[in-house]
Amino acid sequence: MPDRDTLIAMLPEHCLLAGIVVLILLEVFGVRRVWPTWIAIVVTCVASVLAFWLSSMQEVWQLFDGQLVMNAGVLQAKGAVLALAVPVLLMSKSEFSDGEFSLLLLSSLYGLSIAVSSQNFLPLFLGLELASLPVYALVLLAYRRPQSAEAAFKYLVLSGAATATMLMGVSLLYGASGSMSTGTFASAMQGGAGYAQAAAILVFVALFLKAAVVPFHAWAPDAYEGASVPVAAYMSTLMKGVVLLVAVTLVASEPVTGALADLLYVLPLVSIVWGNLAAIRQNSFRRMIAYSSIAHAGYLFYAIPGSPSARSGAVLFYVVTYAAANLLAFAVLPRHERDEKRDDLENLRGLYRRDPVAAVLIAIAMLSLAGLPPLPGFVAKFYIFRNLIAAGQTTYAVLGLLGSYLGIYFYLRVIVRMFMAEREVAANEPLWAEQRADGMSQAAGWLCLAVILVLTLVPGWFIARL
Amino acid sequence: MGDAALLNLMLWLPLVGVGLLLVARGNDLRTRWLTLGVMVAQLVLTAWLYQRFDDTAVALQFSTDAPWIPQWGVQYLVGLDGFNVLLVALTALLGPLVVLGAFRSIDRDVTLFHVMLLLLQFAMMGALLAQDLFLFYVFWEAMLIPMFLIIGIWGGSRRVYATLKFFLFTAFGSILMLAAVIYLVVSLKASGGVSSFAFTDLYQSRLPLDTQSLLLGAFALSFAIKVPMFPLHTWLPDAHVEAPTAGSVILAGVLLKMGTYGFMKLGFPLFPDAARMYTPVLMTLAVVSIVYGACLALVQDDIKKIIAYSSISHLGYVMLGLLSLELIGIQGAIIQMVSHGLVAAGLFLLVGMVYERCHTRQLDEYGGLARLIPVFSVFFMIFTLASVGLPLTSGFTGEFFALLGAFRAAWPAHVAGNSGPLVLAVVAASGVVLGALYMLRFALTFLFGPTKAPHQPLADLSGRERLVLGVLAVAVFALGLFPAGVLRKTEAAARSYQALVLTPRLPGGAP
Repeated sequence: MPDRDTLIAMLPEHCLLAGIVVLILLEVFGVRRVWPTWIAIVVTCVASVLAFWLSSMQEVWQLFDGQLVMNAGVLQAKGAVLALAVPVLLMSKSEFSDGEFSLLLLSSLYGLSIAVSSQNFLPLFLGLELASLPVYALVLLAYRRPQSAEAAFKYLVLSGAATATMLMGVSLLYGASGSMSTGTFASAMQGGAGYAQAAAILVFVALFLKAAVVPFHAWAPDAYEGASVPVAAYMSTLMKGVVLLVAVTLVASEPVTGALADLLYVLPLVSIVWGNLAAIRQNSFRRMIAYSSIAHAGYLFYAIPGSPSARSGAVLFYVVTYAAANLLAFAVLPRHERDEKRDDLENLRGLYRRDPVAAVLIAIAMLSLAGLPPLPGFVAKFYIFRNLIAAGQTTYAVLGLLGSYLGIYFYLRVIVRMFMAEREVAANEPLWAEQRADGMSQAAGWLCLAVILVLTLVPGWFIARL
Repeated sequence: MGDAALLNLMLWLPLVGVGLLLVARGNDLRTRWLTLGVMVAQLVLTAWLYQRFDDTAVALQFSTDAPWIPQWGVQYLVGLDGFNVLLVALTALLGPLVVLGAFRSIDRDVTLFHVMLLLLQFAMMGALLAQDLFLFYVFWEAMLIPMFLIIGIWGGSRRVYATLKFFLFTAFGSILMLAAVIYLVVSLKASGGVSSFAFTDLYQSRLPLDTQSLLLGAFALSFAIKVPMFPLHTWLPDAHVEAPTAGSVILAGVLLKMGTYGFMKLGFPLFPDAARMYTPVLMTLAVVSIVYGACLALVQDDIKKIIAYSSISHLGYVMLGLLSLELIGIQGAIIQMVSHGLVAAGLFLLVGMVYERCHTRQLDEYGGLARLIPVFSVFFMIFTLASVGLPLTSGFTGEFFALLGAFRAAWPAHVAGNSGPLVLAVVAASGVVLGALYMLRFALTFLFGPTKAPHQPLADLSGRERLVLGVLAVAVFALGLFPAGVLRKTEAAARSYQALVLTPRLPGGAP
């Protein structure tokens, strides 16, 4: 019975939807007694648990004539993405006190859930748009400085360009095959006519734009810098991760061939090298993370030309470890009443002397992002490059690893700033206890740390479940 | 409790110590004693295992084998064998001595310092005990981070530059090694069907000569940076000079040996055909390191730099012995590793003690210390003579055996008309003379001549300092006087190393 299937298999989405409705009603009637962030956190947790529960049933649900397919892998990815949204919500308290943030974030998460489970370009498109639209508002909502408006506008225009490119590609694909199913993508990529190949490239260019891969990356540093901390954290981790999960769905289990293959070998490499190099000269924490996320988009896209059987596992493992480390750094970043100051890397100078816990946590995040053992960032990188070499692309793997070496320097520089530099304390400076991240953000940080520790000690446990 | 469990306890004890320190933080003295207690406990456990170690067995002893990432064939596989048993003992011995040596000199961020010492100890032990390439790589890289912080936080004035240089040099080698590791394992799976990182499985791999050469190049780069061999040594003087005493002692005592250990355990046995093909090149580099390090040590006026450059020279002998592929040379190399670990640790501790009192490292500001601080001078002379390689000290045993191995290997070639190896061996032997020259010049200016010191009156060594140096001196003499016991522990391993490197393993050959 398809209706019952829809009811059960989309439980996480229904849960999110219910949360959205409740939040809207609360806003409309001006109920202030319940704190909206709590509702959003509970809803997200429940949705995540539901997704994992459904995935443990090992069933495949085909909804809406196969436009949405929920299998164990999809549901698991969905559960992981939703779980990672919890720290984002936790750290939003310092920046947003009203319900708008939670409302918009839940809407965006709804879009991400749809996009992850799509096997058809229509819901896929719908999901990606639904995920992006609230984020334009979120970037602007944190109006802390004039650049926020510019950032939101830039992000809007470039996302619009991505949307247009994607639509162009999808319509070409439809012209070639007469079907909107994502299954047409793999065959078009593999040996279709010239315009089918062009369609495959156009679709991927749209994904490159959304994931900020060089040369489609220029919006990311401005957008992250202008957005507030939780929004930048959300954009750099979850949004990016879902784009990659979509890319994995598109190529299915086919080897990458044709003109797209060349792009998939070269652009991630360029992205890794350029992201890591450009990050070195940043003075703003969020700009640095933006360039670092450009490099990480490179590593992530290298999962696609890797051996097909382990693609989705490698991407999901990478997304979880990368997001955990990134969110950890954002969560425990010391506060400052001026956003520009908070963002300034100089604000971290001598942090260990003032707030050792925050300094150690940020250091762990940086080392994991740099991919240094024993932290899970290393295992994630190992997974990606192992698949790449197993697929026979040794040269690109070596070049990619060398590119990742370039990144070590700027991550280490953050640690040098925090541990090895002294800082004069200005007379009018607020006490350090006041600058420490608030309790909710700290909770988000500890949550991420727990994920990182588990993945450090027993990565095999997680890999076995991918 | 079985011995395997004891080995695991020994390995993980420092991590338990980290937990204790975090719980009991706030009192510096308590932190120091706790760390010392953990290190001593580790030493006791190691001594127990060392004494239980069966000399005759080739196989891994006290081993634990548990799946870690079963999907990739990664195992938590640790154990003792003839290759690592002496270095494990050395690491365990230096642990408490380092803590004692830093008892007074570190007064800032004491908890963080001791946490880093324990983490470093854990990583070094793990790298030595690991018998799985993935596990080894994780520990190998994990050694970097604590050392990075130890140099960078408690180091001298140019500490940030020095520590970044140290990290970036080492990480560069490691990243290429990582590519080689992945390639090796993937090709092993493609050819033999086994998905495994265990050393014993990887020793079965059969690769064409050009692939072997590339992979050996990647491994060798990483290990040669760590040793360090000429021309990849430039990070070492900076790191040593800027590091606090404890950092220098661990760096010279254990970390550098990781490079030569890597060559012995992985680099050469994994790619034997390429190793034999490139032996002349590597041997030349080893001899250049011996002579070049000695020459540079001769002209330094910074006392820490003299010892730093002498390390480059002394580790050249280890490489020479390993490359000779003669049993006596290989065993000499192993003894030289341990000996240098003890002697360099002693010298760095001595120099650190003087630096704590006078705050300068300029050699020409010192003179006639023998009259000012006699006990110090006695110890200094002992370690100087051990470094020079005086008979009855450990330095003699190591260098003599390594050179003997080199000559033995060179002689048949010379008879056959190729005198290259013999020339190299003769040049390497001249390094002993150079070694005597720079160390005696150092001791002469330092201890004798007109009395001067930048900071008088100079206090002689305290009981704590005497204890630390006394333990090291006893070990130096023990190794020099009774090398037989140590030789027995390593003989089986040396033979299996010899067999692994000498057996051709190209594809298509007889199994």
